Amino acid sequence: MTAGSRELVLERVRAGLGSVESELKSDYANSPRLYTQRGSMNVNQKLALMVERLREYDAAVVECRESALDESIAAEIAGSGRRTLAAPEGLPRQWLASSVEWRIDHDLTNQQIEQVEGVVTASFCGIAESGTIVLHHSLTEGRRVLTLLPDWHLCVLRASQVVETLPEYFARCAEPPPLATYISGPSATADIEMTRIKGVHGPRFLSVLVVRDDGSERA
Amino acid sequence: MVAAMRTSLFITCYNDTLFPETGRAVVRLLERLGVEVEFRPAQTCCGQMHANTGFRGEAFSQAKQFVKLYADAESVVIPSSSCAAMIRDQYPSLIDDLGNETLRCEFKGLLPRVHELSEFLIDKLGVEDVGAYFPHRVTYHASCHGLRALRLGDRPFRLLKNVRGLDLASLDNLDRCCGFGGTFSVKNAEVSSAMLTAKLQDVRSTRAEFCTALDNSCLMHLGGALHREFAPMRTIHMAEILASTEELPAEGLA
Amino acid sequence: MNHPVRESHPVLDPRTAAPFPEAALPVLRNAQLRKNVAHATDVIQGKRNRLVAEKTDWLELRDAASALRAHVLEHLAEYLEQFEQRCTASGGVVHWASDGAEARAIILALLREENATEVIKIKTMTSVEIQLNPALEQAGIRAIETDLAELILQLGEDEPSHVVVPALHVNRSQVREIFRRRMGLEDLQDDPQALTAAARTYLRAKFLSVPTAIGGANFLIAETGGVSVVESEGNGRMCLTLPRTMITLAGIEKVVPRYRDLEVMLQVLARSATGERMNPYTSIWTGVTPGDGPQRFHVVLLDNGRSAMLGREKERQTLKCIRCGACMNTCPVYRQTGGHAYGSVYPGPIGAILTPQLMKLEHAETLPYASSLCGACYDVCPVKINIPEVLIELRAQVTDRERESERRFFDPIYLGMRMANGAFANAGRFKAAQRMARIALWPFTGRDGWIHKLPGVGGRWTMTRDLRGLPRETFREWWEKRGKERAR
Repeated sequence: MTAGSRELVLERVRAGLGSVESELKSDYANSPRLYTQRGSMNVNQKLALMVERLREYDAAVVECRESALDESIAAEIAGSGRRTLAAPEGLPRQWLASSVEWRIDHDLTNQQIEQVEGVVTASFCGIAESGTIVLHHSLTEGRRVLTLLPDWHLCVLRASQVVETLPEYFARCAEPPPLATYISGPSATADIEMTRIKGVHGPRFLSVLVVRDDGSERA
Repeated sequence: MVAAMRTSLFITCYNDTLFPETGRAVVRLLERLGVEVEFRPAQTCCGQMHANTGFRGEAFSQAKQFVKLYADAESVVIPSSSCAAMIRDQYPSLIDDLGNETLRCEFKGLLPRVHELSEFLIDKLGVEDVGAYFPHRVTYHASCHGLRALRLGDRPFRLLKNVRGLDLASLDNLDRCCGFGGTFSVKNAEVSSAMLTAKLQDVRSTRAEFCTALDNSCLMHLGGALHREFAPMRTIHMAEILASTEELPAEGLA
Repeated sequence: MNHPVRESHPVLDPRTAAPFPEAALPVLRNAQLRKNVAHATDVIQGKRNRLVAEKTDWLELRDAASALRAHVLEHLAEYLEQFEQRCTASGGVVHWASDGAEARAIILALLREENATEVIKIKTMTSVEIQLNPALEQAGIRAIETDLAELILQLGEDEPSHVVVPALHVNRSQVREIFRRRMGLEDLQDDPQALTAAARTYLRAKFLSVPTAIGGANFLIAETGGVSVVESEGNGRMCLTLPRTMITLAGIEKVVPRYRDLEVMLQVLARSATGERMNPYTSIWTGVTPGDGPQRFHVVLLDNGRSAMLGREKERQTLKCIRCGACMNTCPVYRQTGGHAYGSVYPGPIGAILTPQLMKLEHAETLPYASSLCGACYDVCPVKINIPEVLIELRAQVTDRERESERRFFDPIYLGMRMANGAFANAGRFKAAQRMARIALWPFTGRDGWIHKLPGVGGRWTMTRDLRGLPRETFREWWEKRGKERAR
C-alpha cells in the first residue's frame, strides 16, 4: 500500500522545491533569533514570578527551605487528607511520609494507579514566565501515567531548577529528552462558551512545593 | 512650515466619477497651503479593482500606465488609501512580473514620491493644523488599507485634532472592517451587509453628525446605509473637512 | 451509550458544500450562532491581545517563527527523511500517504491488525480533512472523540467550525441538551462545570479500556523523531499514554528541525491559539519507550495536496500555518458567518486559502472571495502568512479559469470588469464611459439625487444600501472648466 508512496511523496516535495541551492545547516544557522533568550531576573524574582503564575492557574503553592523539605512534604501530604499515594520508583525515601499508604511504581497497573488518591514527584525544571513545570519522567519524576491518573499531584521544585524564560529551559537540556510533559496548571477547557473550567482529565489538583536554598530570603 | 512645492493629483477613478467634491476639496486645501496642484488628464485607474478581483492581466496595463504617466512628477497625492496601498503593496510584484527593466527603474524612483493625502500633509508638508474650521461632531473610521497597509497610525487624528470647532468622537472597534471590500460588497452582499450593520452600530453610537474617513469607498458603503435608514448622520471625506473654513464651508452643508 | 453513525461530513466536504455566499445565508439568520461566535472570538482575541502586548519580544518571536517555518518548507524532503529515520530508530513505524484515501487505508489496516472495534481519538483536524471517522464507522470501528468540543460535536451530530475551539458555535444550553439526550443524564445542569464533569466521567472509562488511539501532531521533531501534542484538557495525554497502540496522523508540513525550536513555536502558538502564555499540557514523546506508554507507535505522514503547494511561490507560505486559529478569531467575515459557511474543516482566512489548494480549485472557487481583504489576519498570524496576498493570487487563478469557460458571458461581474478595463485604457474612453454611466443611471436616480434600487448585480448593492446618483460634473470636467476660466 505505501510501497512507492514514500518515494512518490518525496519526489513531489523535491519537485515542488526545485533545486534548492542553499545548504540546510547554514540556512538553519542563519535563521533569525532575535527574541529574548535569557531573562534578566535574579533568583528571588524568578521564584516570585513562578509562584505568582502557578497561583494564577490555581495551583496550590507552598514554599519551604531545603533543610525543611522532608517535613514540608509530610505536612502537605497530611494536610491533603489523602490516604493512598503513588510514588515514582526513584523518589527519595525520606519523602515517603509515614502517614499514608504508598504504592511505589514497580510496574503498577493502570487500575492500581487509578485507585490511589495522589502522587508525589520531583521535576526537571520550572519556567517562571508561564508557570510551567517540566517533567522529563526520570526515576524521580515517574512514568507518564503516574502524573496523569491520580487526582492530586504534589510536585517538588527546587529554586535552582527555576528559569525565567522558555528558551532557558531548552538551553538546560543537554540532550533532547525522549519523553517530556510540560504542565502549566491543572487541565482546563474553554470549549463551552469560552468559560474556563478546570479539571477535565488529568489531575484536578496540583500542588507545588517550591524549595529555596537555606539562607536565601523570600522576595 | 509650509514648503512651496508642486504635486500631481491622482484623483482615482471612483472619486472622479462619484465624489468630485472630494477632489475639489483636495485642490482647495492644497492651494491654501501653498502647494501648486497639477492634474494630468491622461489618468484613469490604478488597477486595484481588477487586481483584487482576480483580473491580474488587466491590472498590468493599468499599473504600467500609472508609472509611465507619473514617472517625472515631483510628487503624487492620492485622496484614497486603498489606491495608495495598491501602488505601494501590489505594484512592486506586478511591475516585476512585467519584466521591463526601464519600467522597474521608473517605478522604483516614483514609489517614494507617491503619497496618500494625510501622509502628504504630515510627512511632506509637515503640517498638522491646516487652518480648517468644521463646527460639528465627527467620528473617524479607519479604513483597512490606511490602517494596515499604509500604517497611517495617528496621522488622521493629528489632523482632525487641529480642526477648529470639531468635536471628535472616538469610534469603538476602530480596527474592524466595515465590510465594503470592493467587489466583496456585491459578490458577498449579505455578509458585507452584516458587517456593515455591525459597524454602523458602533458608528451610530458615537452620536456624531458626520462619519469621516480617508477613503470614499468605505464611506460610500457606510453612507449608503445611513441614507437608506434616514439616519441623522452623513459621511464626508476628510479632505472636505480639512478644506472647510469659516469663509468657505464644505460643499453641500446645509 | 449510543454513538451516531454518520455516512459523511456533508457540511464540510468542499466537493458538495454550497458556495460561500449561499452557505452564509442561513447562518446570517441564526442570531444565536452569531452571538456565540462573536462572544467566543472576542474572548480569545482579548486574551491574545493582552498577552501579545505583554510579550516585549513578540515581533522578534514572530519573525523567528515565520523564518523557521519557511526554512523547513525549503528543506522539507531532508527534514522528513531525518524525522523518519530517527522515529524509526526509536521504535516507531513511519507510513507515507500520498492522499487521504491512502491514509484511511493505512489506518484501517493498522486497526484490523489490532482487531480494534473502538478507537479513542485526540482531536485532529487532519483526520476530518481525510474524512476518517466515517470510514472507521463503515468498517465497524467506533471512533470515540475525547476532546470535549469534539465530543459535543460527535454526540450532537454536528461539524467543527473552528480549528482550535471547534464547538464555539454551540452554547451551554445546547450542550446540555446534547449531553442529556446522549448520555441519558436527565438532571444535568447547564453550567459548564457540570457539563464538563459529565464528560470527564463518561470518557474516563474509555481511556482506561480502549487499547488503540488515533491522534494528530502539532509538531514533528526531525532531530529526534519526536512528536509534540499541545492541549488543554488532558484527553491527549490519556490517549497517548494509556493505550497499547498509538497512531499519529500528521501533514508533512508539521515538521520542525530541532527540539529547541519549540522554544519559538510554543511561545507564539499558545498566545495565538488560546490567549495563554502556555497551554496546560504539552506532551513530547519519541518512538516507543519500554514500560512507558504505547508499545506500538505509528506515524502516518500525509501529503494530500501539500507537496503541490510547495512549488508555487506565492502560495507556499500557506503551509507555514501552525493551526492556531488567530486568523479566524480576528476575521470580521468569520465573526458574522462562523466556520460552517466555509464548507471545509479549515474555515476562516486560512481555510479560504488552504482549502482551494488542497482540493481542486473548482471545489472551492468562492472561498478566495470570502474576504474583504482587510488584512487583520495577516497582522495576527504568528508565522506571518500574507493571507491577503494569497487570496488575491487564488482569485487570479479562479478568474483565469473563468476566462476559458463559456459561463463568463453570463457573469455580470466578469463582463463589467472587462468593460471597465476597456474604459481605463485611455482618458478618452474613460470620459466616454463616465458619460455613459451617468446616462445609464439617470433613470434610477430619485429626486433626492439618490439611487434606491438597481437591476441585476447592482441590485446586490441596493439590497441594503442607497447609492448617490452620479454628479453632473466629474472632477476632471470641473478641472478642465476651471483651467479654461483661469486662462481667460
